[in-house]
Amino acid sequence: MSGKVIERFPAGGAIAVDDLVAALGAAPAGGPLTVGDERVVEFLVAFARRLLRPAVARRHPELASLGFFLRRGEIGRALARVADEPGQLRFPRGLVFHVPPANVDTIFVYSWALSALAGNANVVRISSRSAGAADAVLDALGDTLTDAHEAVRQTQRMVTYGRDDAVTAALSAAADLRVVWGGDRSVTEIRRHPLAPHARDLTFPDRSSFTVIGAAGWLAADERDRDAAALGLYNDSYWFDQAACASPRAVYWVGDPAATEAARADLLARLRAVLDGKRPEIDAAMAVEKRVATYGLAVEGAATAVHFDGNDLATVELAGPGDIPRRWLGVGTFPQARVDTLADLAPVVVRRDQTVTHFGFTADELVAFARALGGRGVDRIVPVGDALNFAATWDGYDLMREFTRITSVVAR
Amino acid sequence: MTLFTLDQAAREARLLPELVELTEHHRARSPEYARLLAALGHPPGRRYDRLADLPWLPVRLFKHHVLKSIPDDEVFKVLTSSGTTGDVSRIFLDREAAGLQQKMLSATLGAVTGPKRLPMLLVDTRALFKNRASFSARGAGVLGLMNFGRDHTFVLDEQERPDPEAVRAFLDRHGDRPFLIFGFTFMTWLYLYELAREHSFDLSNGILIHSGGWKKLVDRAVDNAEFRRRLTADTGLRRIHNFYGMVEQIGTTFLEGPDGGGLYCPDFADVIVRDPRTWAEVPAGTPGVVQVVSTMPRSYPGHLLLTEDRGVVRGVDDGAWPGKRFEILGRLPRAEARGCSDTFAEAA
Repeated sequence: MSGKVIERFPAGGAIAVDDLVAALGAAPAGGPLTVGDERVVEFLVAFARRLLRPAVARRHPELASLGFFLRRGEIGRALARVADEPGQLRFPRGLVFHVPPANVDTIFVYSWALSALAGNANVVRISSRSAGAADAVLDALGDTLTDAHEAVRQTQRMVTYGRDDAVTAALSAAADLRVVWGGDRSVTEIRRHPLAPHARDLTFPDRSSFTVIGAAGWLAADERDRDAAALGLYNDSYWFDQAACASPRAVYWVGDPAATEAARADLLARLRAVLDGKRPEIDAAMAVEKRVATYGLAVEGAATAVHFDGNDLATVELAGPGDIPRRWLGVGTFPQARVDTLADLAPVVVRRDQTVTHFGFTADELVAFARALGGRGVDRIVPVGDALNFAATWDGYDLMREFTRITSVVAR
Repeated sequence: MTLFTLDQAAREARLLPELVELTEHHRARSPEYARLLAALGHPPGRRYDRLADLPWLPVRLFKHHVLKSIPDDEVFKVLTSSGTTGDVSRIFLDREAAGLQQKMLSATLGAVTGPKRLPMLLVDTRALFKNRASFSARGAGVLGLMNFGRDHTFVLDEQERPDPEAVRAFLDRHGDRPFLIFGFTFMTWLYLYELAREHSFDLSNGILIHSGGWKKLVDRAVDNAEFRRRLTADTGLRRIHNFYGMVEQIGTTFLEGPDGGGLYCPDFADVIVRDPRTWAEVPAGTPGVVQVVSTMPRSYPGHLLLTEDRGVVRGVDDGAWPGKRFEILGRLPRAEARGCSDTFAEAA
């Protein structure tokens, strides 16, 4: 006996998972989807317009970023990566099963949208705990559907179901590609369910990130750039409670002790000014969480000093650059260490490290740093302030390529 | 002989030097604690004018870290807390600390139970102790309190059903002289109160001590005042004492006074309610986060602990007993659950 799912997009009632899989297997109206299919592009562009409406963007700024990401120009750039080449034709993979994280995070919309753009049929598991931004996304999708081509309704499905192994097993067995977000445990859990022999997983497990700031570069920068960087650090860190994979969990200063001391004091003063303006909500439970986490670092010997400037800003002196805590410490917690050169950080980096946000370095220095890492860790090196900007290359994957397959044609 | 004698000024004058000494004691014996004090800017020899200035530890630290001030070969007992997240606190006692905590618990509760062991009714089931593998914090709590009574009778049978015959037999034997009742708050309400009312049992000679919090009773609109009023009205029980304590400060029991006007601190302990924005002490009447203070912990640095409970000081030196009287208002939102009333019949 197989389980049932509740259809959230297109909104509907309960449906047996076998019926859902059968419906997704049927040829859509107007013929099979292609890479960059106009029916899908039209839908995504209309969806993006809804997200960019002031009423939505005001309540959920993260959805405005999503809206920008799905503008026609951006879509064109994404499609250019998978354009046909002589002797190489790109096609959709088929059916893609997305398992996003259970907490409220809208990152799954990006992976779904790119997969749809690649011409795939998609089933996205939406958490029954979804709320806020995720619900706003479902509302906007539902509204957009009214004027959309019938093929979109037929091929793009978002569903909710409880802990039901039968459903997960059926969707896994039917999928050509399975996309799993949300941590080591969910990845391991989902992998218990076999895929078809030709199918494979695209996984986004637990990651952590950090910031590097060149002390000399900081001191040489003009006031406006320093203020912008302080605001950027605020956005990178305080959105999503510093718990996103790309949120920086530590700040490394690169330079001599005196310059570092001066640059650090300057950044913290500017960050303080940003905080006094933004006044992020730090409730008592979060404040206690931060104490537990930072005091724990001191107990372990990883921290030599812990300082609280109110509940919203905690700084921690790490005993050494290798003592970077990759676990979540609560929002507004900045462990810091100093190194002489960027290259000194290379031994510290591990596979789990995802995003390095930077300020005060030249492009050559950053490229040299990436080469020193040699792919052992770190998938993105982006300016401070851009940590949470989603890109079509994520966790080291060129997503449009992952979502398509190649047929090569050699005429001889 | 009671341990509730010191007014607030005398209490603070006595506790401050003892707690400063204790802080140095733990600093010298626990490298982990010493590192933490150093990182927080509390060097040796720093002067403290008020209890509230001393460095406190968030109680959850004991769930993630081993913090003890005794060598491994002197560890006599490791106590663990209950919790719903799987994380448990581990509290290390040497032989002396283990003995002392029993003694102080006994001396504290003696204020309401008197010096003699009384016949004891337990609002629980003997089945708690049958399976050692699932021996829970609730079991440990019940076992710890059983020492204070004799002729133990359980209100629930081994299938966890109320056993009116057992209670009736107990009351026939002991009901005309003082007897002790112990139970977790929600179980006392759900089982003993309902049972006694239904069978018209006379509990007027009972002395009830209960603990565990009101969370499970909130949806029944039962708070402390209603609990006391209805028990008295429907069963005759008047001597009712809620108590508050935690494994991380074992042996320290904050006990409700005879007037029901709040929880009181034994002479070797105190509470400080802090503003969760500034962490400064708030005046009486202002709710905040509760810090518990006790000179008991010598084998682990648990003498100054910030709990995850919200509370309010209702008054100072103005109640049935001297010192602060306070009330626990509930847990911090989103903070992990604490308490020893674990998974029994959530849906009962």
